[in-house]
Amino acid sequence: MNQRIIYPNDDGGVSIIIPTLEYLAEHTIEELAAKDVPAGKPYKIVDVADIPTDRTFRNAWEYKE
Amino acid sequence: MPSIINATLTNGVAIQGDNSGALALQTNNGTTAVTIDTSQNVGIGETSPAGSAGYTQLVVRGSSGAELSLKGGTTQYGYVYVDNGGFRIINPQSGSASGTLQFSTSNTERMRITNDGLLQFNSGYGSVATAYGCRAWVNFNGTGTVAIRASGNVSSITDNGTGDYTVNFSTAMPDANYSSVASCSPSSGPVQRIVVMNFAAQSNTIVAPTTSACRFSTTGLAASADVEYVHFSAFR
Repeated sequence: MNQRIIYPNDDGGVSIIIPTLEYLAEHTIEELAAKDVPAGKPYKIVDVADIPTDRTFRNAWEYKE
Repeated sequence: MPSIINATLTNGVAIQGDNSGALALQTNNGTTAVTIDTSQNVGIGETSPAGSAGYTQLVVRGSSGAELSLKGGTTQYGYVYVDNGGFRIINPQSGSASGTLQFSTSNTERMRITNDGLLQFNSGYGSVATAYGCRAWVNFNGTGTVAIRASGNVSSITDNGTGDYTVNFSTAMPDANYSSVASCSPSSGPVQRIVVMNFAAQSNTIVAPTTSACRFSTTGLAASADVEYVHFSAFR
C-alpha cells in the first residue's frame, strides 16, 4: 500500500492508481498495472510519498516521462 | 471369552465381540474393514473410531480421501466426500428439481442452491428467493493522500483528478448491466456533496460502465470536489 501507479490520462492530466490490500495480498503491483492501466498507456510505479498531498491544483498535475 | 454369534427368534442374529468388547469385521485374510468399539462408535477403514464424550461417531477413512454415497434407485444419488481438494457436498444430478441442494430447519426448507447455481434463501424475504449479492464495494478517503479504508472485489481506485474516480474490479462482472450505487460525505460542516455516476468530471462526459470498472464523480454545487468519505457498491 506504499506504492502507487501513475499514468497520463486522456484529459492531459495524470491518473493515480491506488491498490487495495485485498488485491496486493494475492498479486504484485506489476500485475495490477497490467490489469488496471489502460492498454497502451505508459506508467510508472512510485512511492506514495512522491504523490503530493495538497490537491488544490490536482487537475493541473502532469505526467513526466 | 471367544466371539459368539447367536440367532434368536426375537432379536435376529447377534454377533458379540471378544473380551475387549469391540467388534471387528475383517476382509482379505485379516484386514479390519469395520470396527465397532464398546461405545458404539463405528469405523470403516478406521480401527479407533473414538468420538467426543457423549457423542457417537461414524468414521470413514481412506488413504487419500473418503466418500459417503447416497443412492435412491438407479438415478438418484449424491455424495459427501473429502480429500486434499477440500470437503465437498455434491449433487451430480442436473434436473431443475433433482439437481438442487437444499437445507432445512424445523422441517421447512430455508436455503437452496438451484441446479443452475443460484443461491436462494429465506432470511425474512417471506419465501425462499434468489439472493442478489453485492459484487463489489469500497470505502475510501478522496482527500489528501487518497486512501482505501476497506474493500471487497476491488483491485484498485483510479484517482483521475479532483473528485473523479474509477473503481476497478478484481473479478469482472458478467456484463455491464449491474446496478452501481455511491454516496459521499465530507468530514465536517453542512457542505453539500453529491455523486454523479458514470461521469468523468475531467472531460465533463458520460462514461459507460464496463464489466471491469465504473467511473463516477463527487461534486459540489459548482464543480467536482474531493470528499473524505466515499462509498461505492455494485449489485448484480
